[in-house]
Amino acid sequence: MSQLLLLGVYGLANGAVLALAALGFVLIYKASRVVNFAQGELLLLGAYVFYTARVALHLPLLIALLLSAAAALALGALIERLVLRRLLGEAPIALVMVTIGLSALFRALVQLGFGTAPRELPKLLPAGSVALGAGLHLPLDRLLAIGLCALVLGAFSALFRWSRHGVALRAMADDQRAALAQGIAVSRVYALAWGLGALSALIGGVLLSDITELSPNLAGFGVLVFPVVILGGLDSIPGTVAGGLIVGLVSQLAEGLCPGASQVLCHLLLVLLLLLRPHGLFGEPRIERV
Amino acid sequence: MSAQATGIHHTSYAAELALRHTPAEKLRLALLIALLLGLPWCLNGYWLGIVNGIVLSAIGAVGLNLLVGFTGQISLGHGGFLAVGAFTSALLTTRAGWPLPASAGAATLLSAALGAFVGLPALRLEGVYLAIATLASQQIIEFVICRWSWLTGGQGFLDVPRLALFGERASRGSFERGWYWLLLSVAVPAVLAARNLFRSALGRSLMAVRDHDVAAASIGIDVGRAKLTAFALSSGYAGLVGALTAAYAEVVSWERFTLDTSIQYLGMIIVGGLGSVAGSIYGAVFIGLLPPLLAELAALAPGSGARLSAQLPALQLGAFGLAIVLFLLCEPRGIDQLWRRAKDYFGFWPFRY
Amino acid sequence: MTVDRTRIPSDSSPQRLACAALLLLAACTRQREQEPPAQAPEIVIGVLADLTGPTSDVGRLYHEGMLACIDDLNARGGIQHRRLRALSDDYGYKVPVAEEKYKKYVQSAAVAVQGWGTGDSEALRRKVAGDELPFMSASYAEVLTDPQQSPYNFVVAATYSDQIRIALDQIAAADPGAQVAVFHHDSPFGNAPIADGKQWIASRGYQLGYQDYAMRSGATDFVASLQRAQAQGAKYLIVQNVASPAATLARDIAAQKLDMKVVCLNWCSDELFIQLAGAAAEGAWMVQPFAPPSVPKPGHAPVRQYLAAKGLDLDAQGVHFVQGWYTMQVMASGLEQALAGGELTGKSLRSALEHMAPVDTGGVIGSVRFSPQSHRGASSAGVYVVQNGKLVERNAPAAPRS
Repeated sequence: MSQLLLLGVYGLANGAVLALAALGFVLIYKASRVVNFAQGELLLLGAYVFYTARVALHLPLLIALLLSAAAALALGALIERLVLRRLLGEAPIALVMVTIGLSALFRALVQLGFGTAPRELPKLLPAGSVALGAGLHLPLDRLLAIGLCALVLGAFSALFRWSRHGVALRAMADDQRAALAQGIAVSRVYALAWGLGALSALIGGVLLSDITELSPNLAGFGVLVFPVVILGGLDSIPGTVAGGLIVGLVSQLAEGLCPGASQVLCHLLLVLLLLLRPHGLFGEPRIERV
Repeated sequence: MSAQATGIHHTSYAAELALRHTPAEKLRLALLIALLLGLPWCLNGYWLGIVNGIVLSAIGAVGLNLLVGFTGQISLGHGGFLAVGAFTSALLTTRAGWPLPASAGAATLLSAALGAFVGLPALRLEGVYLAIATLASQQIIEFVICRWSWLTGGQGFLDVPRLALFGERASRGSFERGWYWLLLSVAVPAVLAARNLFRSALGRSLMAVRDHDVAAASIGIDVGRAKLTAFALSSGYAGLVGALTAAYAEVVSWERFTLDTSIQYLGMIIVGGLGSVAGSIYGAVFIGLLPPLLAELAALAPGSGARLSAQLPALQLGAFGLAIVLFLLCEPRGIDQLWRRAKDYFGFWPFRY
Repeated sequence: MTVDRTRIPSDSSPQRLACAALLLLAACTRQREQEPPAQAPEIVIGVLADLTGPTSDVGRLYHEGMLACIDDLNARGGIQHRRLRALSDDYGYKVPVAEEKYKKYVQSAAVAVQGWGTGDSEALRRKVAGDELPFMSASYAEVLTDPQQSPYNFVVAATYSDQIRIALDQIAAADPGAQVAVFHHDSPFGNAPIADGKQWIASRGYQLGYQDYAMRSGATDFVASLQRAQAQGAKYLIVQNVASPAATLARDIAAQKLDMKVVCLNWCSDELFIQLAGAAAEGAWMVQPFAPPSVPKPGHAPVRQYLAAKGLDLDAQGVHFVQGWYTMQVMASGLEQALAGGELTGKSLRSALEHMAPVDTGGVIGSVRFSPQSHRGASSAGVYVVQNGKLVERNAPAAPRS
């Protein structure tokens, strides 16, 4: 039982980070109908931007965080402005490929700037563990990571529920024409969606690099985003959170049974879902073909 | 509107069906043939090796374009089918002693069958969902070839003995040249077959499925069958390329057939031009030449050359990504469209259009 | 008036462009063939390195050590008055790129190739045999030591199988009935010594339990596998992986306060592991065929001297720098022998390596000797223990007990 709890904590920690990354993905998809294959690289970029602010520029923690957040928002808006706007209306393959091209470009930039060796980052989350009887030690940093992710997700939900920009985003995702008719500026909403997507990826990247290590391998998390969003539903934010936690838990438990197979199990699950229930757990079943 | 050649009057069906009509087109074809025949004598072994790699990837790119460009099905799983072809051919050659033509043929058929199987979900999915499903299939195939130890006898890689054609093994000097002729003799029929496919009814039905599958169904095209055929043909091409790669590189390991390989092929057809056989070849040449040319540039750059060489893989990756993004932003129809516009410019001159 | 398109002149622009392009191509290629022939007094060696790929953290140090050795040899006048020229390329651990670079070396008339990892060593194994080019690398897989299977490969130090045998010897001596868990990278590199380890226990009659666990690359933690190892009752964890995942494993063990001792094989027995694992590395055993700078041996002196002249410190570079240096040193001895015997070709170099006297490495690897029956240069490795963040010798270098 205690073993399951331990695996559960590790799995939920990974799942929480996945949920953050996937949140950005879903935001971007809901607003602009673009599948962002570069989400993993945004995670990576976010982590390295924070590293630059904190270690290279020696800024205090809060300033570094605020600066990185601003940089992420700016990056998202910039991608939307320079790249996506010109490709609206093109075939899906073009949109998919442009995000893939961007992902290669981002990875190359990180490699050019920082090399491939893992970098040392001063720990944000405290090391050490919480001892619960029977020799069970739960890692403190992962518990805190789960808590922080929950906070951030809660903040995003509040943003969508109560702020004007959040409501505008939801309106745009629901029915673009009606939103336009209400006077909502499409370009601003797209830029906001991309900016928030990059921001959530940044937070996820920072947390992930803290509990593991800062190296280009962080981008590999991006591939796991797909099972998460398909499970949760491509246009549902609570679904994404649930999907992230479930995928994190399942892959950790699967790792215990058959090491190395956890990723491929997620992909098998993905294929099954696509065949049986493409709109996922919480997505809207659409009448039209998927 | 493209420049149409005027003053050409056909007097027989054969003349109308010919691939080249105007003297200018025939001249360009003659120049191309001359170039292909003359290459082995102009290039040294290293560059000829790069050309061989480009020829291989051109065949693969034609296959992928068949599926993505002509039938409109996004597929991220091309690397997986290359792997299936490579392992099948290598296993048949090493463990069953089959000669290369037989094992390559078997590899092509097996890949085609597997492609049709993987294409079954395609009947229900489209667009982004299909891309994600093929991504999953790529990861699953990658896992299988990495972990299934029977494939490599536990070694993790499979050795293929040097190809002996008609009893003669190629020596160090003639290796590249011999392979060049072999690959060319496979590539030319493969490309011609693809070209002719799209002048036939099957090809036109594939394009109809891409353009509007509901309308295609309403005029009597079996959409499901067309999609499966496209998947099978595309995977067949991939299997053939995989088999040839196995014999050429003389070793098969899972590292050659990852998601990056699939993305590279997609990059080739995007840069070259979707929906165009010639475009696939232009794309293969472009993406194939990019890394070695960058390496040469880095070596030539004075002073900062050492620092640039150290970062070469990152530069090559960045150039690849940048090329895709720039092409999509500026010329989404690829090099093929650029070439068409160039021809039209001269064709219409002195008129604008 | 219709424009008559059957006439050629209006289409001459594309035609002229094509002719110009063809001439340009011919001109460029002619330049290439004017490169200096390889008969000029320079010994060309191809050097593959991973400077930007997944193993670049150690690959870079190894590569720098190798280039430093070549530089030092050239400064002393070269080998038999011939300078060494290293054609070094970064292949980022991508096997197709390694093959492409290899073709370049063949084209430039290299007489030998220094590789790096298991991926490229095994991919090029058949090719170097066909092209008759001796190949040394930092892959210590057992299959590369057998001249029947890999006629042109030479392994200078203890293979992964030898290292696991030495580790098992030490564990059996310390705790005869212990359970051993082998955590290995999920790849041919990781799998290489597993079967041989099991066989060694059987052949030596040890009472050790033995179970292997794959470490998925890119994994953020190994708690699940550690739980299974705990269920097995494992007290000793042999780790066949690079420093980064090994450090993650060590940190997980420390966080869970498990009673397990980490025994690293050569690729995580380095300063990087200590740096990444921090306090979790204390007390870990390290099997390392190459003597680290923190345990000075006579063989470290020339390396220290070279670095001091450049204002650098060997302790900062670490054990992999020494590794690269001495791998090149062994090849240089072979080159020396081949040149003394006559013409230098790949084949004569191989023969020289097989028949030369044992190379004295001043205690860094022990004495390295090849033979026509075995391309295994040495089979001894030292066992070190991490004390206060440094590698300290626990057992002097010794071969697996016979």
